[in-house]
Amino acid sequence: MITRINVGPIHPGTHGVLRLLVDVDGDTIKRVETHIGFLHRGVEKLVETRMYMQSPPYMEKLDYIAPLAFDELLVAAIEGALGVEVKERAQYIRVIQLELQRIASHLLWLGTLANDVGQLATVFMWAFSDRDKVMRLLEESSGTRMFYVNQRIGGLIRDQPPDFKEHALPLLDYLEKRIPEFEATLEKNPIFTQRMKGIGVLGKEDAINFGVTGPVLRGSGINYDTRSNQDYYVYKKLNFAPQIQYRGDSYSRYKVRMLELRESIKVVRNALNKMPEGDALGLPVRLINPAVKNRIVRVSRETPRGEGMMYMVADPQRPYRLSIRSPSFVNLSVLDHISREHRFADLFAILASLDPVMADVDR
Amino acid sequence: MTDEEKNEYYSSDKFLNAKAEMDKLVAASMKKYEVRQNVLFTKLSDVTKAMSSGLINWSRINSLWPMQFGLACCAMELLDFFTPRVDAERKGYLLFRGTPRQCDVMIVAGWVTKAIIPEIKRMYEQMPDPKYVIAYGECATCGGPWWESYNIIQGIDQVLPVDVFVAGCPPRPENLFSALMKLQDKIGGKVEDEPR
Repeated sequence: MITRINVGPIHPGTHGVLRLLVDVDGDTIKRVETHIGFLHRGVEKLVETRMYMQSPPYMEKLDYIAPLAFDELLVAAIEGALGVEVKERAQYIRVIQLELQRIASHLLWLGTLANDVGQLATVFMWAFSDRDKVMRLLEESSGTRMFYVNQRIGGLIRDQPPDFKEHALPLLDYLEKRIPEFEATLEKNPIFTQRMKGIGVLGKEDAINFGVTGPVLRGSGINYDTRSNQDYYVYKKLNFAPQIQYRGDSYSRYKVRMLELRESIKVVRNALNKMPEGDALGLPVRLINPAVKNRIVRVSRETPRGEGMMYMVADPQRPYRLSIRSPSFVNLSVLDHISREHRFADLFAILASLDPVMADVDR
Repeated sequence: MTDEEKNEYYSSDKFLNAKAEMDKLVAASMKKYEVRQNVLFTKLSDVTKAMSSGLINWSRINSLWPMQFGLACCAMELLDFFTPRVDAERKGYLLFRGTPRQCDVMIVAGWVTKAIIPEIKRMYEQMPDPKYVIAYGECATCGGPWWESYNIIQGIDQVLPVDVFVAGCPPRPENLFSALMKLQDKIGGKVEDEPR
């Protein structure tokens, strides 16, 4: 007999305002219906009424766990439209900030995942205290705590503080020591492994057909990372390598993110060591009638959740049309497919392993 | 007692009729405990409430249970609020609860869309009395950057009675601390409601 259970829209397990209608037979999931749109605010339309440099604050609220990712993406789209080159030092600083952002985002994800599988006391608190240290470093670098708005056309609003490197390197060492502790606490816990290993398997072909990106795609054994495939900024000089796992279950998605944490630490350290001297400041905000060179731009970046993409038709003052591809939306669409025939309690672990941000889904 | 009064008190003529004086003093002190002659008809619960209102208020102030209910970005700072760096528990804001039935403070953190209003109203009705609402962040206060959007209401105060507004986009977790302390002051009667 099929029973229909309603979850949400406001529920501590759904990581935001998501409503799930779950058909269960006993304790086995037969079908998951996803209802979204509770956070819809029409951001694409709002941006059309704003001048170019007024829009980045709107983009930061898309993916509020990693605000810088979409901020930088829009600025990159504007740079593409105006045909502006990014200064080299600014490229390094952007890479450092984006990767620090990725570390903070993955730590938050780790904490909430641990919360969902019943590890509130230890890993959740550890992850959040470590995330706060990274946030403090980002605050030092950019000036604000959560919504940075420090990207400008061709560079940044300000250079890094002179003692940033001395503050950053010890923290990176600390985090590097800390990640094995997280892994030991989780992976030696039979509850965690039983609820992650072999649960929510997304096959290689399904992953391609659904169009998922980011750690969800790489967890299914496909070597696709926008950072290496599209080769933007200075990732090639920083010894970056994408991280892949092959089983396709929740556990390998978890493992990909843990490996990405290490990779991001490595990239930040390399960038700090190789950063050239020079100017990193971008153009001032008040761009009156900028000369648009490319009317149609498409930019994509590897956000912590997957490939974010922006398609912009540019007018002189403001975008004529801005279309956003949000990775969370696509990643969330596989939830029904991968959670069938699993236990109801595992649904939230599977959802957490996909790591959607609802503001990004609803736009 | 000043020296003059003392002298008068211990003067000899008063000692002579000490018993009469003593009776006078006892009568004066007993006046406080005199049983009033008027009769008051009242409910027992009112009497206990009046007697224990101080105790109830004190316990209400010191164990505010907020609801774990995040709408958007500000919910991230809400999470920071009860994690080690800020650690809300030391001030009596206990761990966030997942269900409105156990909570008495609703922190609206994020923009309020037209689709979510019925749910928020329902949750507010599910909370036991007395209940308090904090509008946390620009969006819940006045609509924030989405002010012009077609799907957003300009602040949660159009739907629910709000006790404390917190400014910022997003406010730092420390601001939530100060907001909850303001709310404590308000429950304790130290702060009057400002007309808006």
